[in-house]
Amino acid sequence: MTIIFTIIKSIFYSLVFPGLLFTAAAGLLLAGIDRKVIARMQKRIGPPIRQPLFDFLKLMGKETIVPRRANRLVFLGAPVVNLISLALIMLFIPVLGFTAFSGSADLIVILYLITISGVALIVGGSSSGSPYAGIGISREMVTMMSYELPFVMILLAVAKKAGGAAGMTFSMDAITAFQRANGSFLFTWSMIPAAIAFLLVIPAEVGMQPFDVAEAETEICEGPLIEYSGAALGLFKLGTAMKMLIMTGLFTALFLGGVSTGMIGLDIILFVIICIVLTVLCMTTVHAVTARLKIEHLFKFFWTFVAGLALVSLVLVWCGL
Amino acid sequence: MIQHFPVLAVMLLFLAAFQVEIFGSKNAQVRNSITFAATTISLLMILALIKPVMIDGQIISYWMGNWSPVGGYAIGIGYEVDALSLFFALLVSATFWLSAVYSFGYMEKDHHLGHYYTLFLMLSASVLGLTLTGDIFNMFVMIEVMTFASVALTAFRNNNEGALEAAFKYLVIGSMGSSFTLTGIALLYGKCHTLNMAQLSSILSGDLSGSTMMALGLIIAGFGIKSYIVPFHTPAADAYTAAPTSISMVFSGMVNKAGVYGMIRVAYIIFRAMDKSALQTILVLFGAVTMFVGVTMALTQHEFKRLLAFHSISQIGYVITAVSLGSALGLTGGLFHAMNHTLFKGLLFLTAGAVLTKTGTTNLDKLGGLSKKMPVTTVCFLVGAGAISGLPPFNGFASKWIMYQAMYTKAVESHNFLYAVVVITALVVSVMTLASFIKVTQAVFFGQLRPEYEDVTEVSMSMKIPMVTMAVLCVFCGVFYNLINRVFLYPASSAALNCVNYIDRMMGEGYAENAGVANIETAPVEFSYWNPIVWLVLFGIIFCAVAIVILKGFADRGPILESNSSTDAKYDTFFSGEQELFSQVGGSDLFWGFKKNWGGYYRIMGALHSGIVTDYTTMAVIGTAIIVLALFVFMR
Repeated sequence: MTIIFTIIKSIFYSLVFPGLLFTAAAGLLLAGIDRKVIARMQKRIGPPIRQPLFDFLKLMGKETIVPRRANRLVFLGAPVVNLISLALIMLFIPVLGFTAFSGSADLIVILYLITISGVALIVGGSSSGSPYAGIGISREMVTMMSYELPFVMILLAVAKKAGGAAGMTFSMDAITAFQRANGSFLFTWSMIPAAIAFLLVIPAEVGMQPFDVAEAETEICEGPLIEYSGAALGLFKLGTAMKMLIMTGLFTALFLGGVSTGMIGLDIILFVIICIVLTVLCMTTVHAVTARLKIEHLFKFFWTFVAGLALVSLVLVWCGL
Repeated sequence: MIQHFPVLAVMLLFLAAFQVEIFGSKNAQVRNSITFAATTISLLMILALIKPVMIDGQIISYWMGNWSPVGGYAIGIGYEVDALSLFFALLVSATFWLSAVYSFGYMEKDHHLGHYYTLFLMLSASVLGLTLTGDIFNMFVMIEVMTFASVALTAFRNNNEGALEAAFKYLVIGSMGSSFTLTGIALLYGKCHTLNMAQLSSILSGDLSGSTMMALGLIIAGFGIKSYIVPFHTPAADAYTAAPTSISMVFSGMVNKAGVYGMIRVAYIIFRAMDKSALQTILVLFGAVTMFVGVTMALTQHEFKRLLAFHSISQIGYVITAVSLGSALGLTGGLFHAMNHTLFKGLLFLTAGAVLTKTGTTNLDKLGGLSKKMPVTTVCFLVGAGAISGLPPFNGFASKWIMYQAMYTKAVESHNFLYAVVVITALVVSVMTLASFIKVTQAVFFGQLRPEYEDVTEVSMSMKIPMVTMAVLCVFCGVFYNLINRVFLYPASSAALNCVNYIDRMMGEGYAENAGVANIETAPVEFSYWNPIVWLVLFGIIFCAVAIVILKGFADRGPILESNSSTDAKYDTFFSGEQELFSQVGGSDLFWGFKKNWGGYYRIMGALHSGIVTDYTTMAVIGTAIIVLALFVFMR
């Protein structure tokens, strides 16, 4: 009986909440708000907030063309793998008070799943055989290498801080519990540099301006996505929207953990509101006021400035502050 | 009966080596049968040892000519097989067996194959002997045979450019390694008057005098050269590139692991010095530098096999780092990664060999789009690339997982910031590994097919079987790692940490106790972190959901269209309205932003990898001096 219950529960978690359905819906909402707010910042009216959902449904109904040069299996498999890995990540991110799964190394699992979704985009783009995609995947990989170093350092700083005197913990539950007891990391002075660094990593991870060198519509026509059409493109677009929720949600869990109303319905609403605020703060605003960076500048920015901020936090935390 | 198996397994291969030349130099059938029979029987003998050694926990010993110890001194040569030896011996036999099968198809167009199989069997016998022997001088002899067989095999295709040069570099640096080891062994012999490893271990027993430190430093440097840690890695890149692929696979899969085995055997059992934090730190630093230098050099390579060679160096860095942590967890992770590296790197070399046989080149700038022509090779390559980059559910992920766990546990326990840096390095190196394999994927298998490769076909069955076997094993070891841990890793790692039985079995009951040697009891390592079955189930659930939604909900409105007709413009690749030209984005064109930022670093690296043997020799001498000096300064 318990086994059946566990199975039903894990199916519900992975498909409905907080997995696929919730992530997709909230992600599309974030994408819509992002488009609306940026339009207002640029003195345009902008599309309705439902627009990304309509775009997605429209793409799902269109025919999917596999180019002659492409490898069919990889070309069509990549968007699905991308979507699945993103849906799985959300299972590990606490929605304020609620966590679907928690092990002892959630942070590393999340790190790897994010990498897998990036690899799916790269391999899919590469398999299309287009030279634009070739350039795009190379840029995507450099972007990945750029933010990976600060990202790892931030995760280590959080893990060390949350481990307290005992050591380190990579468990989301332990990180949330520690913050509930000792105050959120966003308001702990030694963690503030890491929080700022994380806010800068978010747009790079999602592929937002000024860090959208990989897609760069005006130069290389969306790079890896250039040959994609129909449902496959729709899944990648949905994946980008989901990534917005995942990254802002991860920030919430790592730096605003412990905030909880105690009621799951309110928690979900509050969680989405925090994610919206973060999206507007670190993606929309930055997007509206900056132009795209060059690849080598992006790399230098992340390995010096952002990694430096993360290192400051790491060293402070290591010294017990 | 069973105690004869280790020595027979080695002897059989040595015997077959000469039979191949005598009977099979003209006839391919005879040659292949002898090689196949010898490697298979030797593999079966080693497999037969799993039950007594790994599961029942016995240690098998064998005195050559029945020269058992006289008056408490071991004078004869002894073979001694504990779980650690057997673990490596299994890897050796399995790798050589697969390589032999692959060779039959891969080498058939070469000449003088009698020589090839003679050297091949000599190499396999010597590496196997090295892992099974219980006598340190016998180990040195095996190293010598191994080095010279390797040198000859590196130069086997000596009509190819660079083969002789590579062999010469290997010869010079390899001989240095052998001489360092020999000097170390001579010092030990002068001090302890014995060459038996079990007896050495009980006599030395935590001795930190000057002569012991000197011997330890020299032997570690010697084995470091054999396992190609930085700064001794320089001949590896050339040798792996120049050697036939079946041999590159063995070099990278097993010959450098022999060095790792030697280091574990020497540092953990003979000197029992791995509990000293100074030695741990020195070796971990060498390991971390090795993994970083290896991967950054790999990122800039234009040659498939050379790139794989630098990755071998990098992955050995992981292994050395993990086993040098001195903990049961680190040893487990390191041994597991050594095993996984043998699998996935062997697999990657085999795919490189497949590409080389079919296209005649491994230059990343001259290939592209082979995935449609060689689908099996492509899938095998993607499995190998996923495994080496440590993506779940492949085996590389499981072992890297354990190693990260071991490293950060160490960082927490020792409260040393250095280990935190090592964790960061390991994670970043993992991403860089991924990057360089993305490069190979794009440059060889995806992208645009070159017109000259229109007629390329999939490789023959003899080459497919080892590739597919290894790809399946890569997934198997990643999913059922708990089984691997229970059967292989736990016995092997506890054998490295506990040497009382090892000594007693060889020298007689109670010998270790008299010498004051005690066991360190360890519990089996638990990997509660990662449960692949649950993962695959979750992955499957979502996959089915997505598939059903796409197929049922949208199929009638948006079918998947595909066509091979060359006239329909709908299936063309987008070219901004220009005429479609050949425009493959090759290997060297990727990652220029990264390379530009790292210009300074790459200039230094370029100067160090000058290709001049005297430079390499200097580097090796400096590296050895650093190890020995560091031991003298920090250990005493």
